[in-house]
Amino acid sequence: MLSSVHRPVHIGRSRAKSGLAAMLVLACTATTACSVANSDSAGDAGDAGDSLRIVLAQEPPTLEPCEASLTSTGVVTRSNISEPLIERDPTTGELEPLLATEWEQDSDTEWTLQVRDDVTFHDGAEFTAEDAAFSIDRAVNSTLACNVEGYVFGDDDLGIEVVDDTTLTITTARPDPILPLRLSFIEVVPRTTSTEAKVREPIGTGPYAVASWETGVSINLQRHDDYWGEAPDFGRVRYVWRSESSVRAAMIATDEADIATALNPEDATEENSLPYPNNETTALRLDGTQAPLDDLRVRKAIGLAVDRHGIVDALFDGLAQPAAQLVPEGVVGYNPELTAAPADPEAARALVEEAADDGVPVDREITLIARNDMFPRVAETAEALQYQLAEIGLQVKIQMADTAAHLEYQLRPFPEDVGPVALLIMHGNQAGDAGFTTSQYLISDGPQSTFGTDALDEQVAEADEALDDERQDAFAEVFAEQNESVAQYAHLAHMQGLLGISPRVSYEPNSATGDEMRLADIRSQR
Amino acid sequence: MLTFLRKRIVSSAIPLVVVVLGVFCLARLTGNPVNLYLPVSATAEQRAAFSAANGFDQPIYIQLLDYLGQVVRLDFGVSLRTGQPAGEMVLAAFPATLQLAAVTMVIAIVGAVLLGSLAAYRPNSPADRSASFLSMTAASIPDFWFAIMGVLILGVGLEWLPTSGVDGGIEVWILPIATLLIRPFGVLVQVVRGAMVAALSAPYVKVARSKGASESRVVFGHALRNASVPALTVAGDLTIGLVNGAVVVETIFGWPGIGKLMIDSILQRDFAVLQAAVLLTAVTIFVLNILIDVCYALLDNRVRQSVPA
Repeated sequence: MLSSVHRPVHIGRSRAKSGLAAMLVLACTATTACSVANSDSAGDAGDAGDSLRIVLAQEPPTLEPCEASLTSTGVVTRSNISEPLIERDPTTGELEPLLATEWEQDSDTEWTLQVRDDVTFHDGAEFTAEDAAFSIDRAVNSTLACNVEGYVFGDDDLGIEVVDDTTLTITTARPDPILPLRLSFIEVVPRTTSTEAKVREPIGTGPYAVASWETGVSINLQRHDDYWGEAPDFGRVRYVWRSESSVRAAMIATDEADIATALNPEDATEENSLPYPNNETTALRLDGTQAPLDDLRVRKAIGLAVDRHGIVDALFDGLAQPAAQLVPEGVVGYNPELTAAPADPEAARALVEEAADDGVPVDREITLIARNDMFPRVAETAEALQYQLAEIGLQVKIQMADTAAHLEYQLRPFPEDVGPVALLIMHGNQAGDAGFTTSQYLISDGPQSTFGTDALDEQVAEADEALDDERQDAFAEVFAEQNESVAQYAHLAHMQGLLGISPRVSYEPNSATGDEMRLADIRSQR
Repeated sequence: MLTFLRKRIVSSAIPLVVVVLGVFCLARLTGNPVNLYLPVSATAEQRAAFSAANGFDQPIYIQLLDYLGQVVRLDFGVSLRTGQPAGEMVLAAFPATLQLAAVTMVIAIVGAVLLGSLAAYRPNSPADRSASFLSMTAASIPDFWFAIMGVLILGVGLEWLPTSGVDGGIEVWILPIATLLIRPFGVLVQVVRGAMVAALSAPYVKVARSKGASESRVVFGHALRNASVPALTVAGDLTIGLVNGAVVVETIFGWPGIGKLMIDSILQRDFAVLQAAVLLTAVTIFVLNILIDVCYALLDNRVRQSVPA
């Protein structure tokens, strides 16, 4: 094509020139038009007084109501777009009516609920008991594999019957004294919702409807004008997401956002943030099937060696409470008598030596696995734990994992041939009842438990069927028993979250805020 | 030229295939994403059903053959995370990354040619030493740190620019572009300067000067033409790096591009989206490579002749 020695240079030059010109035109077009591909900069970002701007740490994968027990989905969906029949007051723990007006237990296994008759969905359809029944059936009895099903209801299906427009009955396979609490996790959707697939943008009865979702950019909600309850302050709500805590904090400082979730302590100041107990508890889960962790003395020694007070002060900036059990105060079953003891490395060392004298291979290397971004300074926390365990004569190596890799270790079936594992876990009990914790973390075959004892299993089973004060006492005993004779967990701390907030709005975060941020509770200050 | 092109296409296609297959296999070695997508207490049957529905129960070579069969039909599968077609998600995200990369490279090249030429024109002058210092610093600053400092100083401190986001005018482009720009700009200034110093001392420049050519013609007409070959090669590599490495910028600034999409897909074990994103990026890099080679060959005839048969 180009044969002479001189021509290529000539042509090359002219092409280089035209290429450069083309690139400049492209650059100018791109910058002067100023719109980013995949974004709609039509301007609903604005800081108009009627609009509330929230920056999240991550984009919700879906707004599907039956996935609302996932933090990133629930924080947008729950009680904003869709609503449950019954809601739990996160501060008092009391159940309160929402779409259901009342409920009563007819027998051990049967319940009757009355629902409101003045509610419409965002699409204008009227809400009736049939929608309530459909929503429960879809979330719990279907093959959709909804998160709420596995986490809140377990395997058993519910029998649901519509009596009339405002009445339904629910039958459980076994006596379930906390069914209304479980129902508080089911978000109501219209009966026209797909039962074959999860929906991405749902229709609900909540104070806000989905206006638009630009993937990767923002989710915009619009006030539902026919909402049955009190109208919220803001006409529009815009969610964006930034994974860097420092950027989220900066957005509060520059008035680009009114609320920012999950700030790191180093980005927060008294002016721009509010701490709140987020119901999460951190602990080391010790694999009791592997030497040397299969020895109770070694596990107890680890519990004694952990300097939880030091870690809370030095690494969590005091934004946590040293813990002695898997649930914080306020959850049914919390045992106020279990106190987080200061570290006692002497006693711990003595226990390890005693075990070593009996032939326990205490020098076998234990893998301490922690998850990146589980909480601020998680890597430093793992290093502190490694040091504290080395001080009592245990060999520990650290392995940091991402969420998916951490889940491999967290959930049954556990990986084989990986040796003794001490897994740094963070457990959130948002339901407010210890039954949700023990069924996962403490019983022998719990999905997140490595081992257990028959005695503890029996105690948990009895507690599960108890009610009121008896239930509280029974679960409190379970936690005492775990510390005394099982010691699968060396507890670390009851954590706190930090919510960024601008002076433009007022909001009182509570223990549910991380999972359910009720927009109606956020008030304008202008 | 056609022979040259054919050979370059074949040799550039090999890494393309290796990358696409490699990502497919490596992704699956990270394990079954069932734990991420099913409830914690999902039964064994539910887990098995999930694996079967997504083909994860098949041997990896069957999965690969299925995947290749799909790709031929331009079906890139469905995102596990969002339920949307993976191809659509990737095509929606890609232009935002390309825009960012294109604008950045235009600024980097124009700026580097001007500054590099200026520095080379008077070697060891204060202008040269300042340019060298600035470009060395720029090439060594971690982009992550630069981005956060930009947010804190220009966004929070001076309130000149938004901290992040894509809504607005030219101001939303400045910090992301500045962050992406620092490294390529720093490297390119060094390359242009080096090549220009060599070119300006070459005999043909003296000949041109002796014939009375103006200084600007000597610098931009004669010397730059010859200095542009190494600069172009480096610029090409840097462009590829930009397309590939917009991850930090997109993550920090909430830019809805393919880098962020790729990271999210890796963390969420969203194989279909990851594969589609890698495939599109690899094809883009492949095309860029060919374009660079063609430009290179057009500028320097020896390149074409040096390709082994």
